[in-house]
Amino acid sequence: MIFSMTPIHPIALIPALPLLAAILTAILGARILGPRSHWPVMVATAGAFLLSLGLLLQGFQAASDEHHHGTSSETVSLWTWVHVEDAHQAASSTGQPSSDLQIDIVLRVDPLTIVMLTMVTFVSLLVIIFAAGYMQGDRGYWRFFSYIGLFIFSMTMLVSVSNFLLLFVFWEAVGMCSYLLIGFWYEKPEAAAAGKKAFLVNRVGDFGFMLAIFLIWCTYGTLNYYSYDGGPGVLDSTLAISSTTGLLICLLLMLGACGKSAQFPLHVWLPDAMEGPTPVSALIHAATMVTAGIYMVTRCWPLFEASEGAQVTVACIGGFTALLAGLIAMTQFDLKRVLAYSTISQLGYMFLALGTGSRAGVMAGMFHLVTHAFFKALLFLGSGSVMHATGGTVDMRQFGGLRHRMRITHATFLIGCLALSGFPFLAGFFSKDAILAAVHERGLETAYGGLYTLLFWVATFTALLTAIYTFRAFFMTFYGTEHIPAEAGEHPHESPPSMWIPLAVLAAGTCVIGLAHHPLEHFLLGTPSLSHLPLAEAGHGWGIQVMSACVALGGIGLAAWLYLGSGQLLGHITAPLKRCGLYQLSEHTFYLDSLYWGVIIWPLRMISLLCYAFDRWVIDRLVDACGRRPRTLGDLMRSLQMGLTSFYALAMMLGLLVLMAARLLAELN
Amino acid sequence: MTVSCKLCLATIDPAVLIRNPLIWGILCGSVALALLLPYRSRQARWPGVVMGILGTGLVITGLPLELHWSEAGLFYVLTVITLVSAVATISMENAVYAAIWFALSLLGTAGLFFFQGAQFVAVATIVVYAGAIVVTLLFVIMLAQPDGQATYDRISWARSSKTVSVITAALLVTLLTITLEQVGPSLSAPTLPTGLLEKEHVALLGKHLFTEHLIEIEIAGTLLLVALVGAVAVLIHAKEESSLDSISNDE
Amino acid sequence: MNEVPLLQNYLVTSSLLFGIGLLGFMVRRNMIVMFLSVEMMLQGISLSFAAWGRFHGNWDGQIMVLFIIAVAGCEAAIALALILVLVQRSQTLDVAHWQQLHEDGQSRFNEPSVPATDPSRIPWPQLTPAGIEPETDPEAESHRKRI
Repeated sequence: MIFSMTPIHPIALIPALPLLAAILTAILGARILGPRSHWPVMVATAGAFLLSLGLLLQGFQAASDEHHHGTSSETVSLWTWVHVEDAHQAASSTGQPSSDLQIDIVLRVDPLTIVMLTMVTFVSLLVIIFAAGYMQGDRGYWRFFSYIGLFIFSMTMLVSVSNFLLLFVFWEAVGMCSYLLIGFWYEKPEAAAAGKKAFLVNRVGDFGFMLAIFLIWCTYGTLNYYSYDGGPGVLDSTLAISSTTGLLICLLLMLGACGKSAQFPLHVWLPDAMEGPTPVSALIHAATMVTAGIYMVTRCWPLFEASEGAQVTVACIGGFTALLAGLIAMTQFDLKRVLAYSTISQLGYMFLALGTGSRAGVMAGMFHLVTHAFFKALLFLGSGSVMHATGGTVDMRQFGGLRHRMRITHATFLIGCLALSGFPFLAGFFSKDAILAAVHERGLETAYGGLYTLLFWVATFTALLTAIYTFRAFFMTFYGTEHIPAEAGEHPHESPPSMWIPLAVLAAGTCVIGLAHHPLEHFLLGTPSLSHLPLAEAGHGWGIQVMSACVALGGIGLAAWLYLGSGQLLGHITAPLKRCGLYQLSEHTFYLDSLYWGVIIWPLRMISLLCYAFDRWVIDRLVDACGRRPRTLGDLMRSLQMGLTSFYALAMMLGLLVLMAARLLAELN
Repeated sequence: MTVSCKLCLATIDPAVLIRNPLIWGILCGSVALALLLPYRSRQARWPGVVMGILGTGLVITGLPLELHWSEAGLFYVLTVITLVSAVATISMENAVYAAIWFALSLLGTAGLFFFQGAQFVAVATIVVYAGAIVVTLLFVIMLAQPDGQATYDRISWARSSKTVSVITAALLVTLLTITLEQVGPSLSAPTLPTGLLEKEHVALLGKHLFTEHLIEIEIAGTLLLVALVGAVAVLIHAKEESSLDSISNDE
Repeated sequence: MNEVPLLQNYLVTSSLLFGIGLLGFMVRRNMIVMFLSVEMMLQGISLSFAAWGRFHGNWDGQIMVLFIIAVAGCEAAIALALILVLVQRSQTLDVAHWQQLHEDGQSRFNEPSVPATDPSRIPWPQLTPAGIEPETDPEAESHRKRI
């Protein structure tokens, strides 16, 4: 209602503003804007956030006004990108007429999109404010903000479009922005390698995604999400497809989501992506890009709903990844890497929630996505603040006891850690508890019940690990003897206001957002994909909540006991672990990187060396030989030119002889 | 009165060819030349001479003429003189002797011109060629090779190139003559109204020359002038360079 | 009736003369003899032209021969001038001496059996002095570099 009078729908403005700001920064940034390069993108993102808030309020109003559980979505069509007549010739058995391939740039305003947009723009705005202080003085300052603008444009478009092909386009776009931003300090070889690794591992996932799109096209004859303009849609299709096709589509979509959201076996890029600047890690690898996979699975929920095998696969992958990442994070000494593995672990939780297949599970997954965005961004920004104070060191063994110097960072980091561990009444508690409850309930059902119960205990154990390693990092950083590394300079100090204000805002948000579970659930039910989720059973008991609270507090206590005192007890525990090799297994990420190196990368390198040798020694030599042949022949002929007149005369006469003979013989015959 | 005659032929019949004495004559002649051409000092001459006589006889046999025996005999004598002198020219070890034999060959050619009725051309040959060119040549030999002979006169190129040259020349001549035997009797041509000793020959020739071929005459005159100037220029330039060289050598 | 055999015979003779001249040019090393062979080739061609002229019954053949004689004269002048220049440079009439136009890397063609000419041993013509010897200043003569 508010926006119905404006000529341009805000949903089109929300991506457009950051794009324009990015282009402006790219053109003007180097010479004209210089250290003020953050202004265009900051203003644009603030505008986008306000528009998203407006859409959110409008949506809430619409949902509560009409009191209907129907779907509410409006679409804004910009232009037609592709139109191919009669592109899809359906098999006669399905009885479908041949349909056109029509890709329209259609932006859809429905509750899922609005929630994602609001979250993305809010966290982006805070990260940009933080980065204005953190990246100050960097040589590529304007380039950074241009990339961030481009990323925000890609992410907002990703959640707004209404077509699988366009989703893929912006899927790749965020991947590209991630590559650009991870390798932002491209002169550093580790950063460049990390960017490349992220892009390549994502590509494996994208390959699965592409196959899924092809399969969807062949099966459904359209790539639109929902019916639009008279044509059929994929997600609200009434077509009956075989169960294997459905399972295959879902598994391939899941492969794409694993690549983007860093699940096993494609999780190896996320820890290396910490080579990028900390604001990048906070924005992309905590709150926005990695959630694109979750968003995609949620959006394609009708497809997953139809296939129980897919749901089980999703849950297993999520649960396994959560456990794996949690185990690895226990032994990491790099602060950002601990946070990266915890991100992987929490994403695993979200997939586990989605894999339960019930309304509670899906809603819990989305809720956890929103809350995780808040407190993970908070933690990453906090670690950025710590790095700012310690002069760039990130190894926790080299600093300690920073709580006196950095009070605000200490306080906000504490809030973030408590939220991550699931401390009662903070955001993480509600969302993690909701997930555990959903998994437990699913475990009580008959189909695959035992599996889900196992996953429930795995998730609980992982929650314990989460609490332990989070507070391990916290205590190692902020407590203990005060120890400043040499790179810090004179004395470490608290961060400037541009850096601690976003921390404070996020901390406040973390405290508050926990209350938004039910309104969010109610709101999200308006999404066309999620409108016919099976109703949740009668309210779960308090047992799960109490158990999860105990687990959290127990983990915090264990961490405090081990890391606050002297290191003796810690030594007693780690020594036997080291002896039996479990410690090393965890420290070296279960040797998965080495496995990939040995199985994939090293053979490819050897093959490429072989090809190089072949190219250089065989093909080049062949070509050179071909090139040398005229020379060689010429050298043979050169020996005829002796400079002696009589030989020239002889040669002339021989030629004349041949000509005369030819002429005469021609005339004869 | 031009008659277009096509001296070409239906086919070359090898059977006919082999019986043609001209071909054998050419063969013998080429062998003779190969033996006569100098390739080392003090080589024996007689094998070449014998082969040469044989070859000449065969060639003569291959040139039938339907004339009175005196006229035919005159022709054959002139031909023999020409060819034998030519062979002698190229096989002499002494350059001066070669020049003299060449002059004799020119006399033979002049006689052959006379036999055709081309009086002026015959005399011009003797006057210009034998009288001017050969004499100049002898002067040059005097200036350049006062001995009159040198080692390089007695030794030709490598034996292989000599053989190849002989074969090439023989093939060339064979190709040129091979077609002649096939001329059919259908050809006939009118004879010149003039006989052998026509009185008005030079006048008629001059008239024809200066009316129809005037431009060629002028061009030939210009050419002669240019050649004269060119020869003198070359020599003067060479003389200046050599005097410069000698100055620099002296100092 | 006998024109054709006459023509044929003249053509055979001319081609033989041409062939002999060709052979002489290709085989002999003395520049003068090579030049003589060239003149011999021209003679053979002239003979052929004259025979054709008679056969066709017009003057064109003989006129061609006249021009050949003119051109041969020009050619002789220039050729002999050039030969003299070459002789001045190399003191020999051997055409195998001049091999500068060979290819790079080509070794010089040497006929091992031909000894190199020694310029000092070439007996240049001596003219007997005639007349009365003029009086000269022996000192001036002894100091003058060249006369």
